Amino acid sequence: MSTTEGDLLHTVTADNISDSRRRLGKMMVWGAAALCAGLAIWQMMFETGRVASGFETWRPVLYAYVLWAFCLCAAQVIVNGEKGKRTLFVLPAALFVISLVVFPLLFALYISFTDWNLASPNGPQPNGWDNMVQMWNDGFYWNALKNMVYYVLAVSVEYVIAFGLALLLNAQIRARKFFRVVFLLPLMLSPVAVSWMIGKSMLEVRFGPISRVIRELGFEPSFFGSPEIARFMIMAMDAWTFIPFMMIMLLAGLQALPSEVIEASKVDGASGWQSFKEVIFPLMLPVSVTAVVIRIIFKLKLADVIINVTSGGPGGATDSVTSFIFREYRDRSNVGYGTLLAMVYLVLIVIFVTLLLKLVSRWMERPA
Amino acid sequence: MKVELYNYIRAAQKMNRRQMLKGSAALGAAAMMPKTALADGHSNVRAEILKIPGVGAGSPTDSDWQKVGEMCLGATKGNVAEGEFAGVELTFMGLNNQNLHNFLFRGFLKPWEAYTGAKINWIDLAQADYNARLQQSIATGTVDFDIIEMGAPFEGDVLGKGLASEMPDWVKEQIDMDDYVDYLKAPVGTWDGKTYRVSIDGDCHTFAYRKDYFGDDGIGGAEVPTTWQEINQVSKDLVGKEDPLTGLPAHGYLDPLKGWGGFGFYFLENRASAYAKHPNSPAWLFEPDTMKPMVNNPAWVQAIQDVMDLIEAGAYPTDQINADPGTTAFQQFLAGTGSMLMWWGDVGSSARTSDTSVVGDVVGFGVNPASDRVYNAQSGAWEDTRNEAPNMAYIGWGVYVMATVEGDEKKKKAAWSAAAHLGGKDLSLWASAYPSGFQPYRNSHFQFEEWEEAGYDRAYVEDYLGSNADSYNHPNAAIEPRIPGIFQYYSVAEDELAKGYAGQYGSAQETADAIAAAWEKITDQIGRDSQIAVYKASLGL
Repeated sequence: MSTTEGDLLHTVTADNISDSRRRLGKMMVWGAAALCAGLAIWQMMFETGRVASGFETWRPVLYAYVLWAFCLCAAQVIVNGEKGKRTLFVLPAALFVISLVVFPLLFALYISFTDWNLASPNGPQPNGWDNMVQMWNDGFYWNALKNMVYYVLAVSVEYVIAFGLALLLNAQIRARKFFRVVFLLPLMLSPVAVSWMIGKSMLEVRFGPISRVIRELGFEPSFFGSPEIARFMIMAMDAWTFIPFMMIMLLAGLQALPSEVIEASKVDGASGWQSFKEVIFPLMLPVSVTAVVIRIIFKLKLADVIINVTSGGPGGATDSVTSFIFREYRDRSNVGYGTLLAMVYLVLIVIFVTLLLKLVSRWMERPA
Repeated sequence: MKVELYNYIRAAQKMNRRQMLKGSAALGAAAMMPKTALADGHSNVRAEILKIPGVGAGSPTDSDWQKVGEMCLGATKGNVAEGEFAGVELTFMGLNNQNLHNFLFRGFLKPWEAYTGAKINWIDLAQADYNARLQQSIATGTVDFDIIEMGAPFEGDVLGKGLASEMPDWVKEQIDMDDYVDYLKAPVGTWDGKTYRVSIDGDCHTFAYRKDYFGDDGIGGAEVPTTWQEINQVSKDLVGKEDPLTGLPAHGYLDPLKGWGGFGFYFLENRASAYAKHPNSPAWLFEPDTMKPMVNNPAWVQAIQDVMDLIEAGAYPTDQINADPGTTAFQQFLAGTGSMLMWWGDVGSSARTSDTSVVGDVVGFGVNPASDRVYNAQSGAWEDTRNEAPNMAYIGWGVYVMATVEGDEKKKKAAWSAAAHLGGKDLSLWASAYPSGFQPYRNSHFQFEEWEEAGYDRAYVEDYLGSNADSYNHPNAAIEPRIPGIFQYYSVAEDELAKGYAGQYGSAQETADAIAAAWEKITDQIGRDSQIAVYKASLGL
């Protein structure tokens, strides 16, 4: 392309690229690709025992891949000149994402269809749909999924409390700034600290202060003895940590509301409740939905409190999918099956969140 | 010696000024002696090192460790010439728990490095990261260390895969392996008849009980229970009674009902070993020829049933279903809840030094309780004979040299010399007497007069360490299988037990069957044939 034709507006320099230069660029890319693919195939054959010699590790293949990526970037400029430079703004980032996200995801997908147990002398061996069948018959996994439904449903209660607190902190109350900071404190704590400070210390049946108070009142404290109460306590601790997160989002939403509309409703004689129901709540819907969806995504990853306080007990009543996968993976080195569970959970989450967003999309736009 | 134990002894005994001065004077005299005289004067070494820094003189520091390392170099000097390993670099992987383990090793090995000319690089790991790091190194073939501090349960993973270097004969002589307590002798530390492990620690569960529950006026009865049958009965009889110390409800034996990353299974083993570990076979978890789990045989079912019965009887404290072994030991037993417990050495030693402990004056020790009857898996029938089988839970730490040193004789000798130095007879005496993270594990460690001379209270040392010595040398000690993935079996069993205890299975048998099914799955996944071979090798069959 010369400067006298084509897209003159976005072209700065004239590129007179010779055919030999183009050939060189293409050769670089294909040459590096062939080297990378050749090494990968060679190494694969070595690993499967089809050829006698090979590398000790896959690292040379990685170096060949990096070389190919470098050649691909350089070739853009060599072949396309200035247009190639524009491509270079995006290409390294895209390659980076592919290398660090897409490739590991594909590798994980492969792992999840193997029987890889770190203690096994044979390493990962593909085992078809065995892991899937095992998952289908795994009572612990389904139990954890069922618990996740309870945990996610608890978000609705958290939302109500967070909204109430946000309204309070948005009102003209004394020491408003102080309370805003105080209510945010739990969010700043690590869930691990919460589980030890509250779950393992304050709720300790014998000498925990809360237990003592309950005993003083004439009851026998038990926080993790029955499935329902244990599940509730986990929900409560998790809620205590994350309600401030929803609260702060809702508070930001409340502060961004146009005050004229609210004042107009007051002029029209709306009571406090009417003003909330007819004006504030509908106007807050987009923020609310965002807060709830993000909170649900957080909730789906719930694990730390459970691992520390109950290890999923009693009898799996508090187990979350993540805490179960943690045990499967860390305690049992069951990499293949654990990865499959995580992949299935990922797919479930993607489907669930997509449906959820679709469902709530009509509330995401502020009413005109 | 565990730190808590050391602190406990210091707190328990009143060290008078004279004793203290005696220790200090001896240390002063030792400091004035020429170094060679110290190192070569073997007969004096044991007495001298026990005075560094002296009982009651505060916790030892790096300079003390170096001093001890220097004084114990005599054995090394017998086998290695000065500067022989110049230019050799070794990598040592171990733990950094409580600022012990690798921290001590650094101090002990510094004089060794100076003498031999070798250099050691260190990989320090937290306990929680240890398993994962080791497993990943093995699975991905990236063993980047030459010497490792490792627990015997991992021998299946490491020795079974040929990743370690066989111990040369001169090392066996240098460290005097015959001095090991019985259960640490072969087959522990060996694989297919070859020796790999330099032991530096011993582990077992011992029985701790509250003396104020038992005796003529004791609410638990006149005698301390010695069998699980008695323990179960006492635990049930104590329901509704009041604890003599705290005034809160009295409780008997404390079973942890919640998992602990696999380690919780040791506590069911404590009960089961008495029922299931018949003297006629070392196998009590799997059948050696088939790897068929024994965990659902009548002996194990009885152990699970015992716990279920006590749950049913309301014999445990509230929320016991959420109590892991850490809770039963430190939040319950030491805090005055419950009267009987099985645990590692930490419990006895924390009794007086822990802030939350109230039982320091009333705690007594013993070996793992027996059973009135034992299940003979070979004949498939119960036998009405008394059976005792102490549970050697975890078997303790050892130092292993990896196969990475093979092919380089100088490096290999250097690695083994370093390992032998750490597992030396004299050095280990010091490690068992001062905070190190390690328990006594040699018969020579139980010569109580040496402890007494060093300034320890003999009565305490005899009572507490005596229960360990009795367990270690027990002819029917229950030793865990050193097979790959052993903690996977334990971990999955914990999950199933939790379900059973929560009433989600119909019976103890059903719970045990679920564990057995899960174990079969793990065995198939890791590879049944290889597991059978490794299991047999680990049992010395």
